Amino acid sequence: MPDTATDIDPRLLEILVCPLTKGPLSYDRTRHELLSAQAGLAYPVRDGIPIMLVDEARSLSDDEKAALAGKA
Amino acid sequence: MGYRSAMASKIAGAAQKDRADFGFREVGADEKTKLVRDVFDNVARRYDLMNDLMSGGVHRLWKAELIDLLAPQPRQTLLDLAGGTGDVASRFLACVDGDATAIVCDINESMVSQGRDRAIDNGALTGVTWMTGDAENLPIASASVDACTISFGLRNVTRKERALAEAHRVLKPGGRFLCLEFSRVQAPLLRRAYDLYSFAVLPRLGQVVARDRDSYQYLVESIRRFPPQPELAAMMGAVGFEQVTWRNLMGGIAALHSGWRL
Repeated sequence: MPDTATDIDPRLLEILVCPLTKGPLSYDRTRHELLSAQAGLAYPVRDGIPIMLVDEARSLSDDEKAALAGKA
Repeated sequence: MGYRSAMASKIAGAAQKDRADFGFREVGADEKTKLVRDVFDNVARRYDLMNDLMSGGVHRLWKAELIDLLAPQPRQTLLDLAGGTGDVASRFLACVDGDATAIVCDINESMVSQGRDRAIDNGALTGVTWMTGDAENLPIASASVDACTISFGLRNVTRKERALAEAHRVLKPGGRFLCLEFSRVQAPLLRRAYDLYSFAVLPRLGQVVARDRDSYQYLVESIRRFPPQPELAAMMGAVGFEQVTWRNLMGGIAALHSGWRL
């Protein structure tokens, strides 16, 4: 059964940006996180609700930042 | 206040730039954001009840008036700030038979998850989109929404100018901002009666119905500290809103401000 209730609304995903840098985000569906390469932060998505607060975000490791930069 | 003490408080104000009001207490700006989150964690479950008590139940009519003024059109996108309970967003969607996007953005995660759970309980699984975010630092791309609303929320925001500027930024050109908030009662006699009710009766009611006198005391005081109608209109104009107007609701117990991004 597709878990629509715990995924982010695509219409929201389209206009979401990093609150700190206003830069783009990439969505890590397996870890339920929104990654901001510019800010080096990962915002949690809990129960399909993005938590776009800097003080709730996790700092990205150097490896994660490199991986993100490679993708871009 | 004499000249000397007026000067003294001016100097004190200049020395502590990043101060904010928390009800009638002065606190650090960051501390205010945390304190307000505590208040809403405390009252989240009964927030509608609290609005009922402060408005005599008519906040629902005021929200209907806000939606009337907004006149939602199909396929529009609404961003409702501090809209934790989701009622403005659902009214917006109801006007266009669900053929629109309504995003609720609230700084308080427990308000958001309760609003969402309630929507699911009511069988409205699709429709309102929920997120947690700070009105002062919106995680929304510039020029991406048709309407931005905030109802009974702006007075709890620490840096109101920043929240207004962010609302202006995320609106598309031609987009409209509406702010519904408790305001300044115009007639002196009515104002005195409402003050008496607010300060003498409401905190006690808060104690009885929510077992939380302090949170209600804060909310009453925050209403009194909120900029009166012309001042809020000037703040909106200062961040770039055009054709700023307001209408008083029930003699100014609340006011509905409107501004356009052109």
